[in-house]
Amino acid sequence: MKRLRGLFLLTLLVVILPLLFPDNYYVTVVAVSAALHAILAVGLNLLMGYAGLISLGHAAFFGIGAYTSGIVTTRFGLDPWSAMAAGMLLTGTIAFVMARPILRLKGHYLAMATLGLGIIVQIVLVQTEELTGGPDGLGGIPPLSLFGWEVDSDLRWYMLMSAVMLLVVWLALNIIDSRSGRALRALHGSEVAAEMMGIDTTVTKTGVFVVAALSASLAGSLFAHQQAFISPDSFNFFFSIELVTMVVLGGMASTFGAVFGAFVLTFLPELLVIFEDYEVMIFGAILMLMMIFLPQGLFVGLRDLLRRLLQQQRAPAPAPVVPAGEDKHDAA
Amino acid sequence: MTLLEVQGLTKSFGGVTAIADLGFDVPEGQVYSVIGPNGAGKTTLFNMLSGIYHPDEGSIHFQGREIIGLQPHKMAAMGLSRTFQNLQMFFNMSVLDNVMVGCHLRTGSGLFSAALRLPGVVREEREARRLAREALSFCDLERFVDQRADALPYGVLKRLEIARALAVGPKLLLMDEPAAGLNDTETAEMQRLIRCICERGITVLLVEHNMGLVMRVSDRILVLDYGTRLAEGTPLEIQNDRRVIEAYLGGEVQYAV
Amino acid sequence: MADQILQFLLTGITVGATYALVALGFAIIYNASDVVNFAQGEFVMIGAMSAVALSAGDGGLPMPVALLLAVLITVGVGVLLQRFAIAPARGASVVTTIIITIGASIFLRGVALLVWGKDIFALPAFSGDAPIHIGQATLLPQNLWVMGGAGLMVLGVHWFFGHTTIGKAVLACSCNRTAAHLVGINVGLMMLIAYGLSAFLGAMAGVLVAPITFTSYDAGVMLGLKGFAAAILGGMGNPMGAVAGGLLLGLIESLSAGLISSGYKDAIGFVILLLVLFFRPSGLFGRASVERV
Repeated sequence: MKRLRGLFLLTLLVVILPLLFPDNYYVTVVAVSAALHAILAVGLNLLMGYAGLISLGHAAFFGIGAYTSGIVTTRFGLDPWSAMAAGMLLTGTIAFVMARPILRLKGHYLAMATLGLGIIVQIVLVQTEELTGGPDGLGGIPPLSLFGWEVDSDLRWYMLMSAVMLLVVWLALNIIDSRSGRALRALHGSEVAAEMMGIDTTVTKTGVFVVAALSASLAGSLFAHQQAFISPDSFNFFFSIELVTMVVLGGMASTFGAVFGAFVLTFLPELLVIFEDYEVMIFGAILMLMMIFLPQGLFVGLRDLLRRLLQQQRAPAPAPVVPAGEDKHDAA
Repeated sequence: MTLLEVQGLTKSFGGVTAIADLGFDVPEGQVYSVIGPNGAGKTTLFNMLSGIYHPDEGSIHFQGREIIGLQPHKMAAMGLSRTFQNLQMFFNMSVLDNVMVGCHLRTGSGLFSAALRLPGVVREEREARRLAREALSFCDLERFVDQRADALPYGVLKRLEIARALAVGPKLLLMDEPAAGLNDTETAEMQRLIRCICERGITVLLVEHNMGLVMRVSDRILVLDYGTRLAEGTPLEIQNDRRVIEAYLGGEVQYAV
Repeated sequence: MADQILQFLLTGITVGATYALVALGFAIIYNASDVVNFAQGEFVMIGAMSAVALSAGDGGLPMPVALLLAVLITVGVGVLLQRFAIAPARGASVVTTIIITIGASIFLRGVALLVWGKDIFALPAFSGDAPIHIGQATLLPQNLWVMGGAGLMVLGVHWFFGHTTIGKAVLACSCNRTAAHLVGINVGLMMLIAYGLSAFLGAMAGVLVAPITFTSYDAGVMLGLKGFAAAILGGMGNPMGAVAGGLLLGLIESLSAGLISSGYKDAIGFVILLLVLFFRPSGLFGRASVERV
């Protein structure tokens, strides 16, 4: 199946990595948060990359998911899986209610509104101390277990998180490659034309907003159980920006680009630690430079470059046809 | 039978009247053209017919049903489709995907069944692809199927818009200046295409500046001037209408045709 | 109660004046180049931090000289930002430019961290700390400096765009770049001027408010966000709308901190912003754009 070739490669990579480097910090710890970020970025990419709707407040949904799981398990003694479902239900409902008024906005106004939503949620998390533990955070969140299989080691978290990431990637690929996915992309291309093709743009926007929020909530719940402790700082404005950066850095409207961006942006700070005081500055500089010189994103940029090289090798044609990008893989 | 019935249509923008008390009937199965000098209100009329603007007054009946106030996607569902004067292509998608978007209403799977890729979805995809390819070949665009829309020349994009609008499966197709910017060969192809669309039983409402094309392709013509109806009739009647000649060529030159 | 409200209003106007200057900077850059500059808050920080660094200690420069230099440094940063980060990325999408300016803001913050560390600094007040009493409410002389300074600059900007050739040329670029270029306007230079002016406003806000709010390497973040919020509240395309948005946001925050809850003051500001956008999607004074098809 040509359509799922990328997913197959990713799965292979995920399986091989711990076999080659067992007990490696970068595999069992950093890669786990990279996979978590990938779940978030893939969901956000549906909204931003495909439907063209910017969100600078995606951390809010991540936070609502995490806190629902945390609160429901520690204070009401629910089991983690029900808590996860409750989180998604709550997040989905909030996203559904907010979608209609927020997604009427365009461009920078939409950016501002989502940013505002993110900040409001973060403030509420800090202020409702009796429920969330306030700025001090919420601890003692129980670990997950799957049919008696306790997810209690770094390696097991690696497996679970990677599996969920692969699942989310698969779901996203399916969505993009369907009637609904085309509706999303059409919305991005021209809203008026999309309407004239019979697409209810309001419903489509709401749908993708809810889906992106649900994946963020799922990631939030996983995060809460993995960390056992959460505080509002993990869900602030900066994290929202980081998520957007992952999507853009990898390459908008490319699911694997989002995964790639998530991994780059998770590993980069780990690697920049050696620069100590210079870390923040270098990070900012890298971000700027990459966006200036590869505005289509790292993954998409490199992939297109590679394709062009391959094509030139095969047949030295002077002007290769512009590759149809991610849109192509539906030629199943 | 009348497919589209417009009565007393009025629209003004900040005090400037674009369309004033306009009425006309579009008979089914014909090519009906709207002409008029620049600023006569043709595109405004189209935008009202397709639900993008709301008229201040008047009524629009499509297949006997009032359609004012309906959102454009509802109109599409009733069988009204359109192309745009300034291309509204989905440039972020391939040619095939563009036209497959047009099949949106002829398929029905939702977000969640798509996410799980249930067997019905796969079948539906195949059907949508078949319909899209059919529309593409009707517009003679097969060889561009896998290209990205933003890599295509202008003349091809004009036809791609038509293929996409046809994929909706319309009863009425509104075409906004399909020949604008085309060379003579392309215009001749466009003329043939418009007639073919009509022969398929699709009523065409055409706005166009190329008078030669309009005269050759239309069954009836409506002439607009300053948002009002100046004349209406067959191409021959219009060509010999004094008011039309005056409006187009100025009062002093008479009987110029 | 009335005195308390007067106090809140005075505080609100001071804070609002700062927001207004930042928002004005946002609006100018947005109008000139369609970019929302997320490094706007860093201009404020750099202005304040440089002023502190230049004037502090035994070898420090006299205050007016330090202030002037600090503002010049910031203007330089603004110009460099345009020249080396924004100009090379012309034609990039909205999101890409947002990430570039966010990258720039992180970079500038990183530099500030490197130069000045994580400490919090204060600038001495320009004309003493003797409070001025208005009824039961008190006002510091510095508050007057902030209000007066902001007022002067807003008038200056208004005059610049309305009555100078250069100001009108910048506006022309924002309306139609190609047309501006064709009538002989040096578009590149106008962009530099817009960013320089924006940085100037940010730096002025920074030095004016630093004696009251203190400053640190990350002081620009929240101010930048508030400025953006204010500019959106007023309507992005309208510089004077941005000023009004800034004052309004300052008043809302001050009143809700005093009357409702200081913990929720930022949230209330944003809730009101969202409500405004729901009913007026282009801000209070922005004009709705009509899509042409």
